[in-house]
Amino acid sequence: MKVTFPYMGTTVVYKKLLEMLGHDVILPPKPTRTTINLGVKYSPEFACFPLKVIMGSYFEAIQKGAEVIVTSGGNGPCRAGFYERVHQRILESEGYDVDFIVFDSMFRDPKTFFRNIKKLRDRTPWIQVMKSLLLIYDMIGKLDNLEKKVQCIRAYEKNRGETSRIWEKIQYDFDQAFSFASMKKAFKLGKEKLNSVPIHHIEEEEQIRIGIVGEIYVVMEDSINMKMEQVLNSLGAEVERSQYLSQWVTYNMLPKWMNWTHENAVLKKGEPYIPILIGGHAKQSVGQIVDYGQRKFDGVVHLMPFGCLPELVSQSIIPKISEDYNIPVLTISLDEQTGIANNQTRIEAFVDLVRGKRKQRLNGKTKLSRNKREHCCSSS
Amino acid sequence: MQELFMGVDVGSVSTNIVVIDNNTNVISSQYMRTNGQPLETVKKGLKQLEKEFSENAKIRGVGITGSGRQMIGVMIGADVIKNEITAHATATVHFVPDVRTIFEIGGQDSKIIVVEDQMVVDFAMNTVCAAGTGSFLDHQAERLGIPIDQFGGKALSADRDVRIAGRCTVFAESDMIAKQQFGFSKAEIIKGLCEALVRNYINNLGRGKKLEPPYVFQGGVAANEGIKAAFEKEINYEVVIPEHFSIMGAIGSAILAREEILATGTNTKFRGFVAANLEFAPKTFECDDCPNHCEVIEVHVNNQVVARWGDRCGKWTNSVKQIDL
Repeated sequence: MKVTFPYMGTTVVYKKLLEMLGHDVILPPKPTRTTINLGVKYSPEFACFPLKVIMGSYFEAIQKGAEVIVTSGGNGPCRAGFYERVHQRILESEGYDVDFIVFDSMFRDPKTFFRNIKKLRDRTPWIQVMKSLLLIYDMIGKLDNLEKKVQCIRAYEKNRGETSRIWEKIQYDFDQAFSFASMKKAFKLGKEKLNSVPIHHIEEEEQIRIGIVGEIYVVMEDSINMKMEQVLNSLGAEVERSQYLSQWVTYNMLPKWMNWTHENAVLKKGEPYIPILIGGHAKQSVGQIVDYGQRKFDGVVHLMPFGCLPELVSQSIIPKISEDYNIPVLTISLDEQTGIANNQTRIEAFVDLVRGKRKQRLNGKTKLSRNKREHCCSSS
Repeated sequence: MQELFMGVDVGSVSTNIVVIDNNTNVISSQYMRTNGQPLETVKKGLKQLEKEFSENAKIRGVGITGSGRQMIGVMIGADVIKNEITAHATATVHFVPDVRTIFEIGGQDSKIIVVEDQMVVDFAMNTVCAAGTGSFLDHQAERLGIPIDQFGGKALSADRDVRIAGRCTVFAESDMIAKQQFGFSKAEIIKGLCEALVRNYINNLGRGKKLEPPYVFQGGVAANEGIKAAFEKEINYEVVIPEHFSIMGAIGSAILAREEILATGTNTKFRGFVAANLEFAPKTFECDDCPNHCEVIEVHVNNQVVARWGDRCGKWTNSVKQIDL
């Protein structure tokens, strides 16, 4: 089958898995202006931004010959659950006949999940399927491990752009590896390459860390979030995302009673603020900010697609969390109208603010004036 | 020899150039209309400054801010290129050390900056629309046929209150026409407009923030007494307008340049007043290497490329080597 999938984050992973199951993979191009324009043209005006971009990706992939689209479903009361239906209808009305294979949580509907796997497996022997899954699981873990390194090193690189170039190369190396042994080699090589990037030495007390939280698509896909990680890195801040593929997969694979993942812990932390599931990643965003606050991050950038209801809810709760944990949060909403200049100013000012706060903490001034806030912090 | 620091704020509506000394006394200041030509305006300002510049003084550092900061920064050789929020806050904290809330309204953007212990702890900037900014007032003043500098004074002479919808410029205008037909005077309409602007500003930017006194109001719009009165009515507290309210961004960037130079002990990158005579040619081209088709801006000086930006991938930005002119 000629299959494709939405473009999000480190796409080598999905590509490889489908290839190993014997499919012809049509990799959609990384979202660009053209993708967004296509998506906006064919999507409902008030639909959320990810729906529009993914719509554009599908059109581009279909033009390249894709016949089957593999995607994941949504969970809870959020429009994302209808993405696949909306996409399919739009494609139909434009005269494209494509198949959708939608993976929802395997615990909610095991039958469909299994049927989907069978469909995707085609004629690949089961043992091969299991092996591929394990290999891919191993691969995303390693890739995420390296990406976390990239997000720190890039903040201090001496030659601008070098780390990102190496990261591209690393992903390519992983793409070429088809066994556990070659994965291991690629991992080792990647680590060495990253360690050899020339960096400025910054005193540990001056290193600042900023977390990125929000809706998964705008957080993971840098071509539509103004390359937020790179922008923050270039301003000298280390970055960590709320979502990494390996964590997401682990969390979704484990049944509830043995789910000790970071994701689950984060959701618990969000519960005092949003007790029930309201869809999207609202609860996770909120919990993650609490988590960053407890881990003494210097600040959080909260990304949301314009008009995303769950994230609007979390946005309105953020000032409270920000006060409780004494952690500054900058919310940026993204869509096809987003102007870069304006947001650049905001991000620069935010990093200045975060640095100022750090300096103040180092000078020990905080003790004098912030009894109330210290109390909040100690409650964590 | 007197050591001086220059600060430049290249905004959408006005461009300001100030020179301060080691004690932050403003030695010289210029407030010019940008008129859509930031390069020409700054050049004109530099020439003017050169004329009045004393012989035994020296520029030891240059800071720059405003929406045109990147390009102009390359042109004059800035030591510090800072965003407007940090620059404004730096200046305000200097002149009003105990400030807690800064209202800044400029030509096309407006900000609220929350300060604690002389440190910015929170801020907000208008995102989607300019209904709460100077351009809105400019436009309405023109429509009513009243010069903008008399606008504020007129508001104070109003006898009655009239509520005008201020969410959107166009709707404000139609509401204004309706209220005129109801027989409200020009002065009352202007007062209503000022109050609408302030209401819109506080609702949009102040949402979810604790705004505590002392309040400082700056930016070009602070010249308008009507707005000041509307602010005081809305928050029910005195609003301070600093002496140099219209050039705070430029002063802030000059202070930041001084801090930077004194901290690092380096020499300034300032090209000198000859920068005004350099042939600066910004050019734009569309990169065709990927479907993004980024508009890349490059600046040429004497047929040499000195800076590039605007590309999403960073390929062009990173391709320029720093050269001395």
